Amino acid sequence: MEARSRVSRRGFLRQSALLGVGSALLAACQQSPAAAPAPKTEAKPTEAAKPAPQPTAAPKPTDATKPAAAPAATTAPQAAPAGQVKRGGTLTIAQELDPVSLDPHKSSNFSAVQGFEHVYESLTQYDDKLNVQPALAERWEMAPDGMQYTFHLRKDVKWHDGKEFTAADVKYWHERMMAKETVAPYKNWFDAIERIEVVDKNTARAVMAKPYPPLLATFAAMRGGAIIQEGAAESSNLATTAIGTGPWKLAEYVPQSHLRYVRNPDYWNKELPYVDEVMMKIVIEEDARVAALRAGQIDYAFLSQEGADRVKADRNVTVLESAKAWLTCVQLNTSRKPFDDVRVRQALRLALDPNEVIQKAVSGAAKPTGPVPTGHTDWFIKPEEVKYHKPDYEKAKALLADAGQSNLKFTILSSPQYPEFVTTALVMQDSFKKIGVNAEVQQLEWGTFVKQTGAPGFDYDIRVTAFTFYPDPDQYMYPAFHSKGVNNPMASYSNPKVDELLDRGRTVGDSAQRHQIYFEVQKLLEEELPNFWMYAGVNIEALRNQVKGYVPSFTGRRISLKQTWVER
Amino acid sequence: MGRYLLGRLVWCVPVMLGASVLIFVLLRFLPGDVVDIILGSEGSATPEVRETIRRLFGLDQPIYVQYFVWLGAVLRGDLGSSLRTSEPVAGLLLSRLPITIELAVLSVAISVLLAVPLGVVAAVKRGGPVEHVARLVGLIGLSLPNFWLATMLILVASLGFGWLPSLNYVNPLRDPIENLKQMLMPSVSLALALMAIVLRMTRSAMLEVLGQEYVKTARAKGLGERAVLMGHALKNAMIPVVTVVGIQMGTLFGSTVVIEQIFGLPGMGWTFVNGIYQRDYPTVQGAVLMLALTFVLVNLIVDVMYAYLDPRIRYE
Repeated sequence: MEARSRVSRRGFLRQSALLGVGSALLAACQQSPAAAPAPKTEAKPTEAAKPAPQPTAAPKPTDATKPAAAPAATTAPQAAPAGQVKRGGTLTIAQELDPVSLDPHKSSNFSAVQGFEHVYESLTQYDDKLNVQPALAERWEMAPDGMQYTFHLRKDVKWHDGKEFTAADVKYWHERMMAKETVAPYKNWFDAIERIEVVDKNTARAVMAKPYPPLLATFAAMRGGAIIQEGAAESSNLATTAIGTGPWKLAEYVPQSHLRYVRNPDYWNKELPYVDEVMMKIVIEEDARVAALRAGQIDYAFLSQEGADRVKADRNVTVLESAKAWLTCVQLNTSRKPFDDVRVRQALRLALDPNEVIQKAVSGAAKPTGPVPTGHTDWFIKPEEVKYHKPDYEKAKALLADAGQSNLKFTILSSPQYPEFVTTALVMQDSFKKIGVNAEVQQLEWGTFVKQTGAPGFDYDIRVTAFTFYPDPDQYMYPAFHSKGVNNPMASYSNPKVDELLDRGRTVGDSAQRHQIYFEVQKLLEEELPNFWMYAGVNIEALRNQVKGYVPSFTGRRISLKQTWVER
Repeated sequence: MGRYLLGRLVWCVPVMLGASVLIFVLLRFLPGDVVDIILGSEGSATPEVRETIRRLFGLDQPIYVQYFVWLGAVLRGDLGSSLRTSEPVAGLLLSRLPITIELAVLSVAISVLLAVPLGVVAAVKRGGPVEHVARLVGLIGLSLPNFWLATMLILVASLGFGWLPSLNYVNPLRDPIENLKQMLMPSVSLALALMAIVLRMTRSAMLEVLGQEYVKTARAKGLGERAVLMGHALKNAMIPVVTVVGIQMGTLFGSTVVIEQIFGLPGMGWTFVNGIYQRDYPTVQGAVLMLALTFVLVNLIVDVMYAYLDPRIRYE
């Protein structure tokens, strides 16, 4: 459940009412979770071959599964021909939520990634098409059995304080991620690495406890994958300061006010970044972002559909809409009656029309989806092709009768932290009436929602939540649908076939085979419906026209900021 | 007078203790704690991991133990460290407090400077145009939510007039003009409601005072109208006004929570609410302590002003 937080005044008000704090309030903070770039670890590496405008030295990225296939990759995807680029200046961007903490390993909120992603790097990185590219590792080899990865590190990388980046830093990163006291929310993404061995100064070897095909993409996802300097956690406060290897140095972080980044003159990719300074101003109120954008005070802002409608008329502003890894999903508590009955779940699903939900809940700014968000490279299934995609009220009623259910009543929980959860719940409530089912909609403050509905209590009938970006399909499905998954309520959803497929997905290295496995799991889940995957969101970003070179990322991150420049 | 003030100061102690106990308990009644916020529902969030972090933060202790540990540290001048950033809470809050105080002082100044003269005129010239204006202002001020007003001010000022105060907070010691430009819209948003209240209070208090015997006496002995109003009537009418301003300071601090967020001012209100969302107990407890202290001090100032306005109070 991860969600990238967005705040609206409405959400605000509701929350303040709940808390009894003064008048209106604010929203929340950042507890949202997952995010990161996407993987296409083993998918065809053909698109990776872009005519690199700035050939950055990167030797071939060997993919976990298809080693040699990848052509030379450039780390600066689609940068503009050098002649056009204007260097220097300041780019002012609005950040919709305070990161709270910049510690790259200890936060589950997406806003933390948005704060540290320009400072830190990992061994690999995503380009704007979600291909895995070299970053701190310039190339790597995987042992045929998947039990060892050897990373050849760049030799020209310096930390922002001038020290040299070496394999010891990689080893230190892993030890910190695994340490119990770190309490890293994404520790489980790296559990498969048993240890990192320092082969020499520029070579690090990951010895695996078990094969883990998504590993390379997981680094690029930057959820826990950011490499920090050896000893940094002991010698500095990583929540408020950051010494990285990335294109910008963190010059200043004033919580609830702004983050200021300055160009790293020693960045290993000599071409980048183009802009000298990035001012990230925290503006949580969307109206204030719209006003500042139109007045030219900020150059970039993330907006909702409503906000976008208000800037579209402005000739100085361009609105970019793109697919985003935001998966809004309705979870049924299969440990409770009657949701343990597949017929009831199917009946409820048949009362819902995803297109209606999308129109009414998010003003049309979304697409129907399956268990992996639509647009996630080539991992997702087409929702139109699944059986319960279209509403069918008669069939729904018949299924309910068959299950012996009449006058069904239950509660749908949502949180005003994400106003769309509430609107989605309301549309559902309305739709369920069509088949004679009465649902009550309840809203909980976010912290309360997480506590009450999460493991180990799972105290809910149905809850609306969302996932941000996960690099691999495994991460969307294993925790909730494997009978040993930590987010499977009381291990109540259990299908031996699903278990077997999810287990195989974690060991099979072959890309085509893995794709088949996950397509099959998704279809099975769409048949049994422990969750209803309602829609995949749209990334709406508005930019002043003088901002050039910015390319949206499916991850919701601002990955291409280093290739962005300002034409003044 | 000195003894009187001292007595009031001593009273601060139980008030603040009470406030601290209350917030300590209430916070822990909120479902969810910082562990849930940090881990979210990611796959690593197993019960063992949750217990580890609770132990690290001392959250596994009984609540009264936690309270006394915290109180002991506070008495030594240590407000603890944020659970999210490990930064000392005292430093954080001290950097935030001036912004909120500036906001509150400006709002009170704006509302009093406008409302008192308007209220006096409205009382003196009953039925005149000023009274109608005063009524209208009073009605609008009480009805408009401040967050709506704030948003409208931003939209109108930035789009309509190209008025662009600095995006980041500017320290008044560094650039007072820029700072005032920046604080103008937030203070006005906060001031309007207070202004309406002060206006109505001034008007009704003046009306009452103007009907008193001593005002007739003053007029009868030949004092000019100006001397009657300023020297005799207004001073006496101010006691309820000062009281209401003091009481409204609490509401004002509550409203800063919203206004600070809308205008991107890193003040106490925003820090406080963010702390609640993060379940960052030490930050919230420290903030409550400071707000309680501020409130107590404001009331003290109100008491001192009573004594100034009505000499009889000094001798009681």
